Amino acid sequence: MSDKAKSGLWARRDVLRTAAGLAGGLAMAPFGRVLGAASAGGVIGAANISAVGAKVGGASMKKPGPYRIGFSNGFSGNSWRAMCLASLKAEAAKHDDIEDLIIFDGQGDITKQVNDIQTLMSQQVDAILCIANSGTAVRPVLRQATRSGIVTVPFNLPVEGEDWSTYVGTDPENKGKKLGQWLKQALNGSGKIVGLGGLPGNSYTASAWKGTKEVLKDSDVEILAFKDAYWEEDRAKVVMADLIAAYPEIDGIWCDGGQDAAGAVKALISANRDLVPVTGDDYNGLLKLYHNEHKSHPKFEFASLSEPTWESVVALRAALSLLRGDTVPKRQIIHPQLITKDNYTDYMRADMPDGVFVDTNLSNDQLQKIFS
Amino acid sequence: MIALVSRSPSHWVALVRDKGVVWIAVVGLYLVSSVISPAMFQVSQVLNILQVAAFLGIIAAGETIVLLAGGIDLSVAGVVTLTNIVSTSVLLGKAGNIPAAIAITLSLALAVGLINGLLVTALRITPLIATLGMNSILYGAALVYTGGAPHGSVPQAFQVVGQGSAGGVPFSTVSWLALSALMVWISRATVYGRWIYAVGANPRAAGLMGAPVRRITVSAYMVSSTVAAIGGLLLTAYIGSPSLGIGNQFLLTSIAAVVVGGTTLEGGVGGVVGTIGGALLITELNSFTNIVQVSTGTQYVLQGLIIALSVFLYRFVGTRAA
Repeated sequence: MSDKAKSGLWARRDVLRTAAGLAGGLAMAPFGRVLGAASAGGVIGAANISAVGAKVGGASMKKPGPYRIGFSNGFSGNSWRAMCLASLKAEAAKHDDIEDLIIFDGQGDITKQVNDIQTLMSQQVDAILCIANSGTAVRPVLRQATRSGIVTVPFNLPVEGEDWSTYVGTDPENKGKKLGQWLKQALNGSGKIVGLGGLPGNSYTASAWKGTKEVLKDSDVEILAFKDAYWEEDRAKVVMADLIAAYPEIDGIWCDGGQDAAGAVKALISANRDLVPVTGDDYNGLLKLYHNEHKSHPKFEFASLSEPTWESVVALRAALSLLRGDTVPKRQIIHPQLITKDNYTDYMRADMPDGVFVDTNLSNDQLQKIFS
Repeated sequence: MIALVSRSPSHWVALVRDKGVVWIAVVGLYLVSSVISPAMFQVSQVLNILQVAAFLGIIAAGETIVLLAGGIDLSVAGVVTLTNIVSTSVLLGKAGNIPAAIAITLSLALAVGLINGLLVTALRITPLIATLGMNSILYGAALVYTGGAPHGSVPQAFQVVGQGSAGGVPFSTVSWLALSALMVWISRATVYGRWIYAVGANPRAAGLMGAPVRRITVSAYMVSSTVAAIGGLLLTAYIGSPSLGIGNQFLLTSIAAVVVGGTTLEGGVGGVVGTIGGALLITELNSFTNIVQVSTGTQYVLQGLIIALSVFLYRFVGTRAA
């Protein structure tokens, strides 16, 4: 996912990158195929999703179909968003009671997104899905939409308050704890690590790193340094090269994004250092790197947690449930499946570009279309 | 004797201006940072800095020509991104595609430079706006071309250019210094080079002296974008994969390296040698602040301070010498 600068800010963040999902520990590739046939099953059907808060919906939100669904995408310029959008469109096509899917691209602009949502309201859509560029800025307009009877489903990035119908996302701090736990174990409880995060100041990295630090607090794992690496391979490689110069011993690398992890590993290779345990997300490039290098580097291990690109599917299904008069939890928190050396071959797409996020319900053919 | 003494202050000022304050800063910062963090003192770290500085150094070398000619090119970031995206998608991991990837990206860059130049000369759009607009167009084009999902990869044979070394010296550094040397020669020893300076200093006077002002200006933009594409190709070889955000960091640092190196934004004063120092100084500063764990925010502040300080110093030195 990459792109920074203004739009990138949100790009990355949103991307909330890290992670691999699916839950339940199911193999991805087979699922991808199964999903086509049975939309209720597959990666998403097997996902470990916990409900937070009371159930919402029921008769009060029920509307007659067919439905017109709006999606206010805060930004679209990276592969995570491209896959997220493709999953959404594919899902929408499976439901006969969806008449129309209207998509607006906020282009990373907070104001434009508010305007986009207002436009969707004036077009009288039945539900609005949204990945917010700012969880604060869209709050009033989502409240307005909700009050006017539109089902509102922010996902991926939280929106302040509770003035929306239902939310779908992950818990970055909890993911950070799991990654920290794994790293501690991989180092047999002691060693020196460095951390590489995403865009400077982004809240996703802050939460994930906080979770990790909590887990490592009372252990013999020493944190040497933490640097922003922008969720980009080139930035991570440059920063890691400096850290390699500064620290003769680095036993592990914590990253909340797979690009950071891949860049850091490439820096170790360039410096002729042994590869070490590293964390990341479901960035295909990291899995491929592990696949190609682990035989010559026995200490090389990795663990990944995705930010599932199919969050959009869960969000759309939640919206449909509400429109059809069913109930859903106020918040659905997805717990992605840990990808490690033991199960990575179920996820890796060897013939696909590095930029693919492998915790996906999309088939190789669908991915080919996105990455072409 | 009296004459010598009375002339010596301006002599020193002139010396500093000619040789460049930037080199004093490069050496000074290196010594200070080595004392604070011995990690900076390792040969491997020096080579690392030289390797990383090469990407910024090359891009800024092209930028120098535009600034010398009295313009500014804010589209180099977009050129780097587009070069990365297009080259990886053409390479597709196959060595046989290297010539095509180079030819296509350099042609694109030449076209971008030509359009920039025409916008500035024929349509008389302010360079700042014309090239900033172009930067936006190039980034948008990269997004449209990839749909946000870039694909492709870099074959081993090409990665060597960005990652390999000869006798410890990275190939990227060699490319940077060779390209800079060529540009120093062109700007100092050829008629074309003198025209660049003349057009930047005073286009009207240069025109009266017979310089083809418009063509010189257009060519400066073409040099800038083509050299930026070369930098983009090297960076692509260094990292080996496509990334839509790869160029963004150069939007400001490419200008900063040139200005810190002593080339003025007004045109006609400065040179490529100073830019080598500027790129080194900025990379050195980033590397040092990474090592001593300065936060990203503070790094930006320091970079800004260095730019402001160097502009002030050059102006001060320039005024005194005049």
